[in-house]
Amino acid sequence: MPQHRPLEPASPWVEVVATDDDWDAADPALLRTFLAQLVWIRAFEQHVLDLAGAGLIHGPAHSSIGQEGGAVGSVLALTSDDSVNGSHRGHHQFLAKALHHVEPKGMDPLAAPSEEVREVLLRTLAEIAGLDRGWSHGRGGSMHLQWKDAGAMGTNAIVGGGVPQAAGFAFAHQRSGTDAVSVTYFGDGAVNIGSTLETMNLAGAWSLPVCFFIENNRYAVSTSVEEATAEPRLSARGAAFNLASWKVDGQDPLAVHLAMTEAVDHMRRGGGATVVEVDTYRFFHQNGGFAGSAFGYRTKEEEKEWRERDPITLTASQLERLGLVEAGDADRAIAQAKAVMEEIGDVLLEPVPDGKPGQRRIREREWPDPAWVDVGVRGDLSELDDAPVVAPDGHAVEVQETKLVESIAAVLGRRMETDPGVVVLGEDVHRLNGGTNGATRGLTDRFPGRILGTPISENAFTGLALGMALDGRFTPVVEFMYADFMWVAADQLFNQVAKARHMYGGDGGVPLVLRSKVAMGTGYGSQHSMDPAGVFATSAGWRIVAPSTPYDYVGLMNTALRCQDPVVVLEHVDLYNAVGPGPVDDLDYCLPVGKAAVRRPGNDVTVLTYLGMVPYVLEAVEGFGQVDAEVIDLRWLDRASIDWDTIEESLTKTNQVLIAEQGAVGTSYGGWLADEIHRRFFDLLDAPVRRVTGAEASPSISKVLERAAIAQKDEVIAELTEIASY
Amino acid sequence: MARVLRMPGLSASDTTGVLAEWLVAEAATFADADALATIETDKALVDVEAEGGGVVLKTLVPPGSQVDVGAPIAVLADPGEEVADLDALLQELGVADTAVPVVAERRDVPDTDPGSGSPVPEPGPVTTPSVVEPAETNGRVFASPLARKMAREAGIPVEEITGTGPRHRVLRRDVEAAMASRTPASSSPAPAPASPPEPATSGSSYEDVPHTRLRRTVAERLAASKQQAPHFYVRATIRAERLLALRAELNAALAAEDAAPVSVNDLVVKAVAVAHARVPEMNVTWGEDAVRRWQVADVAVAVATDRGLVTPVVRDVGSRPVTAVAADVRELAGRAREGRLRQDDLEGGSITVSNLGMFGVEEFAAIINPPHAAILAVGAVRDEPVVEDGAVVPGRVMSLTLSVDHRPVDGVVAARWLAVLTEVLERPVRLLA
Repeated sequence: MPQHRPLEPASPWVEVVATDDDWDAADPALLRTFLAQLVWIRAFEQHVLDLAGAGLIHGPAHSSIGQEGGAVGSVLALTSDDSVNGSHRGHHQFLAKALHHVEPKGMDPLAAPSEEVREVLLRTLAEIAGLDRGWSHGRGGSMHLQWKDAGAMGTNAIVGGGVPQAAGFAFAHQRSGTDAVSVTYFGDGAVNIGSTLETMNLAGAWSLPVCFFIENNRYAVSTSVEEATAEPRLSARGAAFNLASWKVDGQDPLAVHLAMTEAVDHMRRGGGATVVEVDTYRFFHQNGGFAGSAFGYRTKEEEKEWRERDPITLTASQLERLGLVEAGDADRAIAQAKAVMEEIGDVLLEPVPDGKPGQRRIREREWPDPAWVDVGVRGDLSELDDAPVVAPDGHAVEVQETKLVESIAAVLGRRMETDPGVVVLGEDVHRLNGGTNGATRGLTDRFPGRILGTPISENAFTGLALGMALDGRFTPVVEFMYADFMWVAADQLFNQVAKARHMYGGDGGVPLVLRSKVAMGTGYGSQHSMDPAGVFATSAGWRIVAPSTPYDYVGLMNTALRCQDPVVVLEHVDLYNAVGPGPVDDLDYCLPVGKAAVRRPGNDVTVLTYLGMVPYVLEAVEGFGQVDAEVIDLRWLDRASIDWDTIEESLTKTNQVLIAEQGAVGTSYGGWLADEIHRRFFDLLDAPVRRVTGAEASPSISKVLERAAIAQKDEVIAELTEIASY
Repeated sequence: MARVLRMPGLSASDTTGVLAEWLVAEAATFADADALATIETDKALVDVEAEGGGVVLKTLVPPGSQVDVGAPIAVLADPGEEVADLDALLQELGVADTAVPVVAERRDVPDTDPGSGSPVPEPGPVTTPSVVEPAETNGRVFASPLARKMAREAGIPVEEITGTGPRHRVLRRDVEAAMASRTPASSSPAPAPASPPEPATSGSSYEDVPHTRLRRTVAERLAASKQQAPHFYVRATIRAERLLALRAELNAALAAEDAAPVSVNDLVVKAVAVAHARVPEMNVTWGEDAVRRWQVADVAVAVATDRGLVTPVVRDVGSRPVTAVAADVRELAGRAREGRLRQDDLEGGSITVSNLGMFGVEEFAAIINPPHAAILAVGAVRDEPVVEDGAVVPGRVMSLTLSVDHRPVDGVVAARWLAVLTEVLERPVRLLA
């Protein structure tokens, strides 16, 4: 009979209950601010539902009515230096944070709103209605509310999608030497998704001051928390990651405030990440103004019980008991807020001419200009104005034969030396004498704490890096050990990193560099051998560089690290130990954005290629000898940065083009480029665009099958032979 | 029964037409023979007439679109026909995609019923206009985009260039070879890439007038004629006194009847038909495999219009009185100036009469209007001393220059024909019988 020894979680897990004694002891100004914020948020949300009912809100209106207690109680434990982000249901937290930012000394429920408060309400309403005066010019709307000045870093429409970023804000606070904290709000639905659990683990491991604030409103749309998990006490998740965890009644703002104050204190003192779970309830369905019971997934009785625990009623009765407000004051405050919201609505709305009584529409002047649709997908590159940019051709600095992998460590080290904000993170980058390939060799010792080996959780650490980039004080360099792992981090890469600037209005930079290793040819098989360029090229927002020489690597990495857009720097294992021209000692020059390199001039056909395929193409052209090909190393692969001038100049001469790449045809890069070339340069073409790609299948482990799946020199020669035969 | 109305092929050489205007709106009804649309071809504006009454369910191309011959342009239905689901019907007819048709380059569209504007009901689903299946038999010429552009700028039809690329595709080098073979040693460089014509600005020393479709066609056809048809020329100067006397007498009689007068040119046109009857070897056209001999004498008349040169054809000149010929010429010239010629007005014949006499031109040589075998250039009637019975006397003369395509017609034939023409014009009473 084995012995059984009970084990305990390493961190405390407690429920906080507020008593009348706690209300008696609380700061009256804080309690009046509770009521004021609750009332303003409720009136705002009710107004949004009214507009949605009148068809004036495009898209869903995810009401937070019923859940305001958790938002107000928690936000009032923060300062403007602290960061928050949230989910699709985030109006209440955003407003609480913004109102607290403009009224840091508190609010009175009966006082007329200040101009700043009106401004917050107006711009938030405008954003939710998709209008130009909104925080993000109407691009973000209800689910993407961002006002960085207030520490509101952006709500998020992907369940769990914002959680990793909050760890990045926490990282920035901590590494900047402040005691500021980060709070990420999400619901019972998001608690089970990988991003959230990965981030809890990562934040625990790195002891980051981030609070995972779970609003357990009991339903993920219509799926109940008991259906979704065997542990509906959601704060129990914290114990799995050794995070101090609190559970509290979310309808009671004081209880929440007490619990949150403890959690914030824990984080400010360096105790690491925390979990706060509030029990709460949304009075309406997922979106719109109908009760959930109307959809049959919960009962009217249950809704009635929760409505009796309305945070406004609860707070107002405590304030009356304490003599802080008089009977009827709460109603008067609600009436005032409702009237103010009508006035604010009238700024954006006007009666429909000849319409039905009360029928309104958006004022024409409030809409954003449709011509603005693509503005801010990327930045304007003005950040490079003072960069030491060299000519695209030749070598601007003294060069010598160098291994490319050594140039990686050299240039990263140089940048870390000159910019204390540069940090490198990825799997095993801190060990193995420079990661799995030696690209970070020597850096761990030179820069303690800035070469960060991550847990194996690409979504979490990519999102964490995005949080750093949005914060702006750090420039993360993320390494993916294999390009194929991008699919694991797909939400962060393509929904978050790529869209963040544009979605939040176009002004905020996203200085993030992703180093992604292309390992085809190494025998790692179907799931480790892809070229990600084609997939990244579909994602507006990313810039893509593909250096084929040590000299290019240094210049392009320097440009990428200065750029305020996310840049993926592709690295090919074939090139790591290949020798080419690299700088002798100058590691500061930048290669210009959007400039390709003509590696071999020629007259018969233009070969567009990049990365590891460049040497194969050059060998093929020289070896075959019968076709005078002009070989262009594209260097910059994304739609915005590709060098159309050089391509056009070459096509004008050769009238024929071959796009040569190595990877599988399905995810290949050249498809969009061929399409674009046909449309841009139709009259220059004397033949259809030709392409060399790998096979349909991903490269297999078996050496012969792998070789058959990858395009190299022979495949280029085959195409050149075709060209020569006409 | 709903049916597809297609872009009619108005002549054998037309591969596309411009839908200039819809004359019946969508959902509107039309009667038999109503004009449904106006189509602009290289040379004419043509009305497409309805075969039987009906209703226009949907127009598939907007006005101004260039459309392949044979491509669907509208869906028609019988009068009173109910269509519950138009989209489904369009789908069924294979014309659901109503995007402006992309003009697919091709040539030698099977020559079905040229000039017919009738809707052709299709038994099965039809391809959308942009999809032209390159069958072996339809004679499509493949050419690279660059080759097409270069050929267009050089005025060489790609159909006349031998392609050396894949599937005999015409490539840049083929166009360059064609240009080299057609240009004298002092060949000028290829024309610069087409750039939009610059508007004349004050102080500018030139003005670029963009080519009209007609201008371009004239240029292409006449350049091709001069390049492909080996021209030779025979000349004669005739005594015109009797011709003028006859015309004066005839017009006096016509004036008495309030009828329109005839011109010297009308008489020349009539004389050409008489000469054709006597020398039928001249009433021919050159074809790829055969020389075609025509049974009747259709004679084209060159008409200058604001839009450019056109050559409507007067039918069966030989068997009709000169007054009828004159009336035809007048009517055709009038419609030519209004741009209202029908395609069939422009087809047929083996010879053109071109007359610049009204400008005082003494004589000139003209370029044959393909596929004709000849063109007769008529100069002004002028007073000149002539030798008559050994004495110099005042005479009235007119010079004629016949340009002849040497492929179907030898010099002797042309000489005989010109001699007959001279005789007829100098003894013009023959023109009246």
